[in-house]
Amino acid sequence: MRDEFDLAGRTDEMGRDMELADVLRRLAPEHADPNYWMRFREWVVREAAGELARRRLVAHLTVSDVMSSWARALLPTAALAAALAGIILMRGPEDHLQQMVSVEELLVSDLEGETIPATLGPDTSGPAITFASEIF
Amino acid sequence: MSLKASEAPEDDDLVRRARKGEELAFSQLVERYQRAAYSVAYSVTGSREDAEDAAQESFLVALQRLDECRNPERFAGWLMTIVRNRSRNLVRRETLRETDQLPSAARSKVPTPDRVAETAELREMLEKALAGLPEVQRQIVLLHDVEGWKHREIAEALELPSGTVRSHLHFARKSLREALGNMPGAPDQERKIQ
Repeated sequence: MRDEFDLAGRTDEMGRDMELADVLRRLAPEHADPNYWMRFREWVVREAAGELARRRLVAHLTVSDVMSSWARALLPTAALAAALAGIILMRGPEDHLQQMVSVEELLVSDLEGETIPATLGPDTSGPAITFASEIF
Repeated sequence: MSLKASEAPEDDDLVRRARKGEELAFSQLVERYQRAAYSVAYSVTGSREDAEDAAQESFLVALQRLDECRNPERFAGWLMTIVRNRSRNLVRRETLRETDQLPSAARSKVPTPDRVAETAELREMLEKALAGLPEVQRQIVLLHDVEGWKHREIAEALELPSGTVRSHLHFARKSLREALGNMPGAPDQERKIQ
């Protein structure tokens, strides 16, 4: 589609309306400040420095870097866990068993009669049919 | 685009390098599109200061989201979408702020020597003439006639059919010529399109 400006011969080879462009360029920031775009770009690049550095770091990370970073956190934790496990094992399993038995004994010591309350024990007083009828 | 010389790296190459944090590649992208970004931002905000803020912020946002640019060869269109959205958000925020402040009649702009100068007067007239256009026409006429973008490139960037871009450009030029008719230094009255 050719427009009337083309016909008037006021456009350049790219089809730009040069007269309007000349007028509109007065609004362009470089009209008042020739270094405007340089400062614009410098500001953006300066503000982007952190993000660019982060991207460089990510881009240069290799598989071994990732593994070693994991290892840095994982190895001390594993060593600590192994040491703890070693200490527990060195104390011996008998102590544990003894302690557990002792605790159980302590719970029932000084108690008279049966250690299991009668209410929790098997009911032998009535016939089994009675129990069933109560349920239903 | 006129800015792209044949030996200059393509957008997709620059985008890929910028993704890896290469400062030079990012700087080249900024250099290539800073004027267009500013023009689009100005078309939306109508203010030079806001346009600068929105355009600069848009480049930073674009860098942060560079991995989301699925077609790096169409970086320009993707960037312009960010610029438009940032600019609209800025306008929205400013509008909200203004409604919280004094009524417009009570606000007065401090006159500066620059404001009373002839150049400022011309600029004001130009701004008014541009403000009279729909947003999309402002974008198109600035990108085409000032920044030298082709119809196809504008169509891609603004996600419009090429024919629509041509049509908008035609009406934008006509409206501007009418609005600028009496302006000193504007396109010659005799040569003005009737």
